[in-house]
Amino acid sequence: MVQLFTPYQLFCLALLAITAPFLSFILSLIFKKIAGALGILSIGISFISSLILFLGIWKKQTLHFAFHWIELGNVKIDVGILLNDLSVIMLLLISFIALLVHIYSVEYMRKDGLKYRYFAYLSLFCFAMLSVVIADNLFLLYAFWELVGFSSYLLIGFWFSKEKAVQANKKAFIMNRIGDVGFLIGLMVMLTQFHTLDLSALFGSENLISSSFVKNGIWVTPFNTLPSYWLTITGFCFFAGAMAKSAQFPLHTWLPDAMEGPTAVSSLIHAATMVAAGVFLLLRIAPLFNEVVLTTMVCIGLFTAFMAATIALTQKDIKKVLAFSTISQLGFMVVAVGVQDQAAAIFHLVTHAFFKCLLFLAAGIVIHELHHLKEKHQLDFDEQDLNNMGGLRKQLPITALVFLLAAMALSGLPFTSGYLSKDAILVSIFEWADLKGGVYWIFPLFISITSWLTTFYIFRVVFKVFFGEFRLPQLLSKSDLKIHEPSSWMRVPVVVLGVFCFGFFFAYNPFSLDSAWIYQGFIQQVHSEGFYHILVPLYINVLSLALIFLTYQAYANKKIIFNLEHTWFYQLSLNQWYFNDFYDVFLMKIVLFKASVFNWFDHNIIDGFIHFLTDLVIWLSKISDWLDKHAIDGLVNGAAALVKRIGIWLRGMQSGKLQHYFIWMLLLFLSFMLFKIIV
Amino acid sequence: MIPLQHFLFISAILFCLGLFAVITRKNAIQILMGIELMINASILNLVAFSRFDKVDNTGQMFALFIIVLAAAAVAVALVIIMNLYKRVKSIDPNQSDTLRG
Amino acid sequence: MNLAQVIFYILTAITIGSAAFVVLSQHLVRSVFMLFVTLFAVAGLYVFALADFVALTQIVIYVGGVLVLLLFAFLLSSKESLEGMEKIPSGLLSAHRLPGALISVLFLAVLGFIFFQIDFENLNWIKASVANGNVISVSDNTIRNIGINLMSKYLLPLEIVSILLMMVLIGAAHIARKEPKAS
Repeated sequence: MVQLFTPYQLFCLALLAITAPFLSFILSLIFKKIAGALGILSIGISFISSLILFLGIWKKQTLHFAFHWIELGNVKIDVGILLNDLSVIMLLLISFIALLVHIYSVEYMRKDGLKYRYFAYLSLFCFAMLSVVIADNLFLLYAFWELVGFSSYLLIGFWFSKEKAVQANKKAFIMNRIGDVGFLIGLMVMLTQFHTLDLSALFGSENLISSSFVKNGIWVTPFNTLPSYWLTITGFCFFAGAMAKSAQFPLHTWLPDAMEGPTAVSSLIHAATMVAAGVFLLLRIAPLFNEVVLTTMVCIGLFTAFMAATIALTQKDIKKVLAFSTISQLGFMVVAVGVQDQAAAIFHLVTHAFFKCLLFLAAGIVIHELHHLKEKHQLDFDEQDLNNMGGLRKQLPITALVFLLAAMALSGLPFTSGYLSKDAILVSIFEWADLKGGVYWIFPLFISITSWLTTFYIFRVVFKVFFGEFRLPQLLSKSDLKIHEPSSWMRVPVVVLGVFCFGFFFAYNPFSLDSAWIYQGFIQQVHSEGFYHILVPLYINVLSLALIFLTYQAYANKKIIFNLEHTWFYQLSLNQWYFNDFYDVFLMKIVLFKASVFNWFDHNIIDGFIHFLTDLVIWLSKISDWLDKHAIDGLVNGAAALVKRIGIWLRGMQSGKLQHYFIWMLLLFLSFMLFKIIV
Repeated sequence: MIPLQHFLFISAILFCLGLFAVITRKNAIQILMGIELMINASILNLVAFSRFDKVDNTGQMFALFIIVLAAAAVAVALVIIMNLYKRVKSIDPNQSDTLRG
Repeated sequence: MNLAQVIFYILTAITIGSAAFVVLSQHLVRSVFMLFVTLFAVAGLYVFALADFVALTQIVIYVGGVLVLLLFAFLLSSKESLEGMEKIPSGLLSAHRLPGALISVLFLAVLGFIFFQIDFENLNWIKASVANGNVISVSDNTIRNIGINLMSKYLLPLEIVSILLMMVLIGAAHIARKEPKAS
């Protein structure tokens, strides 16, 4: 293929891709009326630039542009752009999904008074996210990472008049800070060890990571040596950063709460892009992790995936289900990184971005329409509650169709994108466990269970929302409640996303993982054509189909009634494994107790000491005041009085009387004469 | 021959009398007269020593000059006293004490 | 003690006595008239110091000029101003005159002490002029010599003094004239 653009032009395009949203952010705050148009235009420009970049760079070359920025001693920090396969695929993904979400938002936010602000924040987020993806060093990445966190904070708390939204954005911000501390520490260790934060220098060809080694318990790099446990610590630190962003256990609780933001935001940030930033970071610095960190990663990823899936089973709020689903899927990706199958992680990241975004947008349509209904008839019900829905496939046929598609993709059914990517991860884990043997077989077991749980909970949602009877009229005893498909501003993006749920876009043969081009683009080790490739998808899918049937019977036809409300595992799941309560009890209480102890200490000890000091000072000042008045003033006044007397006496000489002057003169003359006589 | 010391003593006594007048008197004209006495005393001194200068007569010459200058001084001083009296209605020099500090 | 000495001491007594009267008198006009006596007596003393010309000048200028000027200034000025001038408020040895008297006596003591200390006969320049015969004797006529010296050796001082005199006359006249009403 002929090279269409020179590297310099590609660099300019990359700059354009990130500056367009930033300009849009600023201009949106100035030209409030056309904020939506500006947002769409800018992200459109980003998308087109990203597409060109993708075509120019994918599997062809790696471009790195850097300018000198900061010099601290012998440490140089550049500002620059790194364009490699990972960058451009992420760039394309983010800009494409952001574009669709922007279009969708036009309708979704139509009635909101602060629409311009919404689009400004959205542009800021896109700017930050795109910059994270193409930043060429860890320092710059960290800076934009923080900006992503900040813009996410703004968007979660967009409806700032809602108390819960404010709480949620605070929670998200604080949780992310905890992870960011880890990231920062990791940065510092890297700086100490390698004297550079440049990604291509650290992880590129002829990288510094591979030139470092661990020997005799010492971590040796070309610049410095540290005890080997620092390598593990660094890995954990970076993983902590990723953990917070990607909502992994134990820092996952912010993501469900973040659903308080607009649904379109949830779909963009908390499903497709921002949460993927954590995984992206792990992928960027993957060579750094050693065996301990990787194993921990697998454990945490798996636990997160399993836990979130169980929680998603019983949630009543449609967005909460999707949020926990997201956490679960992110867990899958982390597991994939942990088993060193980066290709699968990236592949799943991309496909997941599409179908999870679609799920959210479709759910957004349902919520949007129910909200309209609520306003129109002035009813009082929770438009996000699954129990208020049902049978909507008749009223929202297109939405129901795309939602079903996305649910199938999420479940990993054949012909969908999820089938390819999810099964890639599953296969990797099976192979990994096979390699390790023994107790490690617990991982494939749990990941399989999680996979089936995923199928169950997502089809529960599907059937509860779109099949059976519309429960709302029965609940409110009103018969004339009708909703209809939204305008094409919302319809088009979901349809586009729905199309991308098909496996054909990612592989020529929707059954063969090896034909998936994204997967092939990142594949590092050749999979042995083992029997897992056939067996795993087969047994997963067979059981999944069975589960779908079960779910259909349970929620659409109500043939099977689950009566588990009072069992312990139902309660555990419903209450999200009591993590919030646990944090409340064991962290908040401790913090509050400590605070009250310190408060007491402050009040009684420190204040007492200070009061004592104050009294002492007052007392001393009284003494000094007395001394001042009587001793010093007396001295000064005495001196002044003395001078005054001398002055008066001397003034007497200057009487103005001629003869007095004459007398003085004579006296002087006389004394002079007497002096001469005597001496 | 009258010894030189005698003249000197007489001049000293005259001088001190004039001095006393200048110091104590409250009348400007009497002060003026005291000054005249002091001038006369000094002239007497000069004249007494002038005996030992027959050729140049320096002492007598200066005595003459002093007499002339004293006359001039008196003329001016009298005018000043008259003017002073016109202004402060007193010829007590202590009454006009605008120089006082 | 010959006659000359007797006359000298009589003159001395008159001089000191009249001078004391001038200084201590309560009456201004009387003290002015007493100044006549003093000046005359001093002129007599000049004669005893063998300075005839100075004695003459003393009489002509002092007695004829200065004293007349004093008296004229008195007598020709207006009556009330004369009364004001005549008043001499204090007594002879009142408390505030005491320091004046003390200073004067002290001064006299210092001067007398110095005159006692110095042996005038043996001063270098006096001894030299005695040795050279440069001493005026009683029979000498000094006026001719003074005239010559005045016109030759002391011409410049004479001229300066004459200019000074003229300035004094003009100045005195200027100060003495009546001030314009405007000021």
